[in-house]
Amino acid sequence: MSEPTVITDGLVKRFGDFVAVDHVSLEVTRGEIFGFLGPNGAGKSTTIRILCGLLAPTEGRATVNGFDVARDPEAVKRNIGYMSQKFSLYDDLTVEENIEFFSGVYGVPRELRAARRDYALRMAGLEEKRGSMTRLLAGGWKQRLALGCAILHEPPILFLDEPTSGVDPIARRMFWDLIYQLSAQGHTVFVSTHYMDEAEYCHRLALMYRGKVVALGSPAELKQSAGMATMEEVFVSVIEREEARQ
Amino acid sequence: MISFRRTRAVARKEFLHILRDRRSLIAALAMPLVLLMLFGYALTLDVDRIPTYVYDQDGSPESRDLIGRFRGSRYFDVRALAGSHAVIERAIDRNEVLLGVVIAPDFSKHLAAGQEAGVQLLVDGSDSNTASIALNYAEALALAYSGELRSKAMNRRGGGELKAPVEPRVRVWYNSELKSRNFIVPGLIAVILMIIAAMLTSLTIAREWESGTMEQLLSTPVRPVELLFGKLSAHFALGMLDMAIALGAGVEIFHVPMRGNVLMLFAASAIFLFGGLCWGVFLSAVARSQLLAYQTAVITTFLPAFLLSGFVFAIENMPWVVQLVTYIVPARYFVTILKGIFLKGVGLHVFWREVLFLAAYAVVLFAIAAKKLRQKVA
Amino acid sequence: MWERIREIVRKELRQTLREPRMRAILIGPPILQLIIFGYAVNMDVENSAIAWMDQDLTPASRELRSRFTASRYFQVVEEPASDLEAQEALDHGRARAVIRVLPGFARDLARGRTTSVQILLDGTNSNTAAIAGGQAGAIVNGYSADLLRDRMREKLVAATTASGGPVTFAIPTVSVRSRVWFNPELKSRVYFVPGIIANIVMLVTVMLTAMAIVREKEIGTMEQLMVTPIRPFELIVGKTLPFAGVGLLNMLMITVAALLVFNVPFRGSAPALLVSTILFLMTTLGAGLFISTISRTQQQAMMSSFFFFQPAFMLNGFAFPVRNMPEPVQWLTYLNPARYFMEIVRGVFLKGTGFTILWPQMAALAALGVTILLLAALRFHKRLD
Repeated sequence: MSEPTVITDGLVKRFGDFVAVDHVSLEVTRGEIFGFLGPNGAGKSTTIRILCGLLAPTEGRATVNGFDVARDPEAVKRNIGYMSQKFSLYDDLTVEENIEFFSGVYGVPRELRAARRDYALRMAGLEEKRGSMTRLLAGGWKQRLALGCAILHEPPILFLDEPTSGVDPIARRMFWDLIYQLSAQGHTVFVSTHYMDEAEYCHRLALMYRGKVVALGSPAELKQSAGMATMEEVFVSVIEREEARQ
Repeated sequence: MISFRRTRAVARKEFLHILRDRRSLIAALAMPLVLLMLFGYALTLDVDRIPTYVYDQDGSPESRDLIGRFRGSRYFDVRALAGSHAVIERAIDRNEVLLGVVIAPDFSKHLAAGQEAGVQLLVDGSDSNTASIALNYAEALALAYSGELRSKAMNRRGGGELKAPVEPRVRVWYNSELKSRNFIVPGLIAVILMIIAAMLTSLTIAREWESGTMEQLLSTPVRPVELLFGKLSAHFALGMLDMAIALGAGVEIFHVPMRGNVLMLFAASAIFLFGGLCWGVFLSAVARSQLLAYQTAVITTFLPAFLLSGFVFAIENMPWVVQLVTYIVPARYFVTILKGIFLKGVGLHVFWREVLFLAAYAVVLFAIAAKKLRQKVA
Repeated sequence: MWERIREIVRKELRQTLREPRMRAILIGPPILQLIIFGYAVNMDVENSAIAWMDQDLTPASRELRSRFTASRYFQVVEEPASDLEAQEALDHGRARAVIRVLPGFARDLARGRTTSVQILLDGTNSNTAAIAGGQAGAIVNGYSADLLRDRMREKLVAATTASGGPVTFAIPTVSVRSRVWFNPELKSRVYFVPGIIANIVMLVTVMLTAMAIVREKEIGTMEQLMVTPIRPFELIVGKTLPFAGVGLLNMLMITVAALLVFNVPFRGSAPALLVSTILFLMTTLGAGLFISTISRTQQQAMMSSFFFFQPAFMLNGFAFPVRNMPEPVQWLTYLNPARYFMEIVRGVFLKGTGFTILWPQMAALAALGVTILLLAALRFHKRLD
């Protein structure tokens, strides 16, 4: 349970003059829930996109489940599930139709499709709503559906980009229950968030600020080294320290 | 390798999208139907029942005879006998009549004396097309009447070969009743297919970008080519359905002649449609917003198909610069094929060049679309 | 109240002129239509390609041929030697007509027998076929009439000589003199270009108005506006006035282009045109307003405008005369404001008419304008509440 599945080494992404990801190096081990924290524009989404094979890195390397993201993005995609920041399933398809579509697209073998579909529906709690038009679901349900669609092909690694933004606290709690479930089953979950309480749920965290990783470790480690009691306070103090530095 | 399963998933999704999106449905079904109604039923370039006033300054049996000819012809609708030039002028100004026939006061006198009797035709030239045709018909009618008078006079005199030495004998091929609908409705198929091909298809990829679903798609193993084929197949099916509807409506409801090979028609339509679809996908991949994709599609496909393909306006009459431009409008070739199949009943041996061009166009565009999609996606 | 209206107008103008999309709609369509209908689309039938099949090969037949080639209406592109070749020329579309002089043509003429010339028309495009057929027939008839006159003169000379005195030959003929009004050279561009004003004003103002209003709904600023003391009426006026200006600007642009570039005459009353444009604008702005109330996004607005625009464009008499449409459809066009405006525009440019002749159309426009605006405003009002 301790081999690294996601490794980045000096990852850099530039858009023209703007450096979105500035020499990020980290390792995530199998089954870990790895959290990515940081203010808006810190580079979290960009890093995730690189790791998913959606963007090519300007410099540096990254491997996901042993596959190099720059050289072998297709292999990477077969091994991951992705939930983007903005809800991106099909509004005008039903819950079941969305699941069916992603089953097909992820290449879930025919014999397993029904089982996976039922599993996703059960996991997301959408069995009653399987025929509902996705557009009509409340925010929390949409997120769960998106998560369900991301795990249909049982990917070893999940990338979740701010999966709970705009969702009420109870739904958020339930969503994290699901993440724990998945982690317990052996999925690696790479999740970005700006909710401080969620930071506490992660096994380990990286704090990003202006493209750089400015803090790395478990919640306990971070609180200790910053001398703060809550992650919120840790966050504020680290950011202030960084701002003072510049 | 292309996964059939993934492609099919994309195709099924596209079908659902089209069915559920009101705008797409309108473009896919309503608009072709409206166009069929318009061009099959409402619009025509045929000229007949030309509203006419006659100012008979002579009032003789001969002049009344001539007027009777006008009345009896299906081309003219003699609305009233005007009492003066001014009445005709005012009526033409008011768009009430198109033609004024003025019979000179000494009409019958001149005829009796065996001289030239004058008839003046006043035509509203604003609509040059109708005016030309109206003048043709009116002059032909007067000439025919003149010829008859001559023969009658000769018969009375008892002999003489003063008939017109040469007569034109006109035969019309392919569209003997000269109905404009017969050449417009087949050409309409090209326009309809362009609507599907470009306007509908141009929305698909741009819409995925705009709603964010493209990003989700890209993170999956689906390949650009599978995406292309999946989207193409759904729209292709729809396009062929529309073509069949247009064909059926044209032949059954509007009685457009269909003298050629139906299979050839479907084959040519399939090639044309495929090329157009690839163009639509290309536009959709290049333009990130649906609006832009749609506008570009309209300007580059619908408008040329409408105006520059020979569908309604004859290409041979256009300035040579414009004629050159029409060579790069694929719809032009397709309209030639359509007219050939429907009206002329000819086959590949006549329009093989056009088919070749369309096939080349389809292949090239497929390559471009696939490449562009791959670029944008990778 | 005027303060608020003026603020909105200013904001609208600024937003519209800044958005490249809107700027494109301002300039693109007018130029495109001018090029297409003023230059490219040409319904004049001249220089038709014909195939000449001379099976007689005598001075008489060659004389006839020279008449065809001398006229600006025809040019001989092929000389098929057999029926099959003639058929092919038509099948392949290489010639619009095949003119065939049968063997024995000159001999029949010499013997004083009536003979004929075959004109085989490609009827595919019925309009050009009718016109070309008429032109060909006229040439043959002209040739025939000249022959007749020559013969008559001969007879006259012979008879006079024989009888030793003057003899008159009384042959009654009807001579036709045609006068074409307004467009003496029968150029289709003269017909189309003024009509473009109607099309463009309609297309641009409907689309821009609809999109401008919907844009506020989309961004959410509409809510913001509703919280201010502004009243629905002021909002409507403020939003539509700038596009009325745009419509008038377009009208001027096209008129100038018509006069300077396309040599289209302007014979009528400019004030009548101005007033009519304003009345027409009432209908189009109302339509734009209405479309904005049934669209949620800008592209819906654009597509709805386009969809609505299609039939209105087709059924306004621009390219297809209303007179030739089936009765029920003609009744329908009475509800199409563009139909009246088309008549007005053509009347003012070509026929030199003004208020006195065109008042019925203007009255119709006014009535339709008020109705559409009222309906749209009512619907709009409900939405704001």
